[in-house]
Amino acid sequence: MIKIEKREEITTKLRIIVPIISVFAGLIIGAVAILFAKVNPLIVYKSIILGAFGSRYAITETLVFTTPLILLSVGLIMAYKMFFWNIGAFGQFILGAIFSSYFAIYGSPDLPRFFMISIMMFASLAGGALWALIPAFLKAYWDVNEVISTLLLNYIAFNFLRYLMYGPWRDPTSHGFPLSKTFPINAQLPRIIPNSRVNLGLIFGIVAAIIVWFIIKKTKFGYRISVIGGNPIAARYAGINVSRDIIIGMLISGALAGLAGMVQVSGVLHLLQIEINPYYGYTAIIIAWLSNLNPIAAILVSFLFGAMISGGYLIQLTLQVPFGIISVIQSSILFVLIGSVFLLRYKVSFVKRRS
Amino acid sequence: MPSSHIILITLLTAAVRSGTVIIFPTIGEIFTERSGVMNLGIEGMMLIGAFFGFLVTFYTNNPYLGFIIGTIAGGLSSLIHAYICITLQGNQVVSGLAMSIFGAGITNFYGNRLANNQLKTTLKIIPIPGLSDIPIIGKVFFSQDIIIYLSYFFVFIMWFILFKTKAGVHVRAVGENAQAANAMGINIYKTRYFWTFFGGLLAGAGGAYLTTGYAPFWLDGITAGRGWIAVALVIFSMWNPSIAIIGAYLFGSLDALQFQLQATGTTIPSSLLAMFPYLLTLIIIIIATVILRVRHIGVPKELGKPFFKEEK
Repeated sequence: MIKIEKREEITTKLRIIVPIISVFAGLIIGAVAILFAKVNPLIVYKSIILGAFGSRYAITETLVFTTPLILLSVGLIMAYKMFFWNIGAFGQFILGAIFSSYFAIYGSPDLPRFFMISIMMFASLAGGALWALIPAFLKAYWDVNEVISTLLLNYIAFNFLRYLMYGPWRDPTSHGFPLSKTFPINAQLPRIIPNSRVNLGLIFGIVAAIIVWFIIKKTKFGYRISVIGGNPIAARYAGINVSRDIIIGMLISGALAGLAGMVQVSGVLHLLQIEINPYYGYTAIIIAWLSNLNPIAAILVSFLFGAMISGGYLIQLTLQVPFGIISVIQSSILFVLIGSVFLLRYKVSFVKRRS
Repeated sequence: MPSSHIILITLLTAAVRSGTVIIFPTIGEIFTERSGVMNLGIEGMMLIGAFFGFLVTFYTNNPYLGFIIGTIAGGLSSLIHAYICITLQGNQVVSGLAMSIFGAGITNFYGNRLANNQLKTTLKIIPIPGLSDIPIIGKVFFSQDIIIYLSYFFVFIMWFILFKTKAGVHVRAVGENAQAANAMGINIYKTRYFWTFFGGLLAGAGGAYLTTGYAPFWLDGITAGRGWIAVALVIFSMWNPSIAIIGAYLFGSLDALQFQLQATGTTIPSSLLAMFPYLLTLIIIIIATVILRVRHIGVPKELGKPFFKEEK
């Protein structure tokens, strides 16, 4: 029979092995889904790898997709550490993009680049933070369920972006396409690898990951939010101002998502449009958990997921395999990961039945 | 008949149809949450139900079969969530989110070829003799399809089951105090599996009704957040099926109004109109939460907590 015992402690080895197994299991489930569509999964996976790493261009594009994912997932880690269910990274990302684009579209193209980029960065941080503070205040003072508020705010943000793009911010010369005018040079985030779209945002992401790691591991605030995440009622009894810390944590979380939005429009697209990628906000949730809420690990996991996205676009283009398969693989990884927590917490062993 | 009268009837008829899409998942989630399991995968399971409902109807021209298969597909997909949350005690929020991402991905992957196709046959409108002749109400409530008529009874039956039967006592006991329920001899795992599966069936039904009745075509992500609205309405309804129907029709009205305004060529941009139901849902949820707190009506106490029976 099967015997189940509580584990005394979870070893570091297990903590690393479980996510790796999850990734492979997700790939296998994805392969089965591809087989059902009567396509050879090996060809699809080979194309994904080629699309992600097959050429200099492919590798730089993988880095381009990695960049917002780092910022978004690191921001989410901040929220999830306090067990604040921020599902609104997508909306916060959009607000960051909108706020920074305002200055790119209506600001003077003669301003010094450093000055303009700084303003846009600040605007995006403020935009994302603003959109995150709404659910944070609602949670802190009225106990409004944050899963629902952040999600509804995503739809509100997206429709607001649509309004701007079909209305006042549409470029009159875009032939009716929902695009803004192209940003002037001074509003374009410098690119750091020649002949590619890899931009300064990648550095922002890595720096943000290190800062958040430091906040979580080395500061009193970081300690407090881990207590809140463990047990908010106990935290309150311990004299922690839970409401204030939730608001500060979400401020950081939303600001980073907003910055990701700015990086996308100012560093990659050089304009604002409707398609600024709805997948990122949700993909980042998976990254946050797969990296075990560790900001440094999130950099690596973001790279892996950036590669999947980059490869996903290639298979859509060359094999006509819909991009949705990437979401299937990613969500399957998450299913297996969450399911495996049982194996971390309990030791399952087979013992001979005594008769 | 004055034209404003006709517009009102069109509007309310559409409101009931749109509300029916939400009513099934909302009631399903009420029972799932009452048993202590939170399923945030409604959006994904609705998409799966919507896709299978469309697929089957597209190839068989039988929307009733489509509705049934879509419902079953939703139920089956919920078993993944049930296994992870109940047997493996995984995090319910994360598993539900994974389900929503999974549903969006899998329906995009298999549904891409069918995108923008329309169904030739949809659920038939069957006016009820006599009742359908009542002014306004007859048109709005009794000149609809069979699934809508079913939903009227269904809401009442589920309210009755929850508050007047032994099964209702059991599900509430499991959701309020699992240890005590276990001591009473209720099988926690079975109860939770059953109601999670039930919630999945109803999410599938809502999705399937969307594509076989309300909006008979296939588009990527056709549910457009209705699953999340259902999750929100569970709070609004205070976990009570009879209040849920009010919430669902309220959202249905907003949704219908938005479409009606677009159709009549208003100067308000369509994007702002589309934003309107979500914004109002958010405001309603804020108000509902405050009322819940003032009146001390709490969420099911075991919501989100896994149950583990220690072996002795």
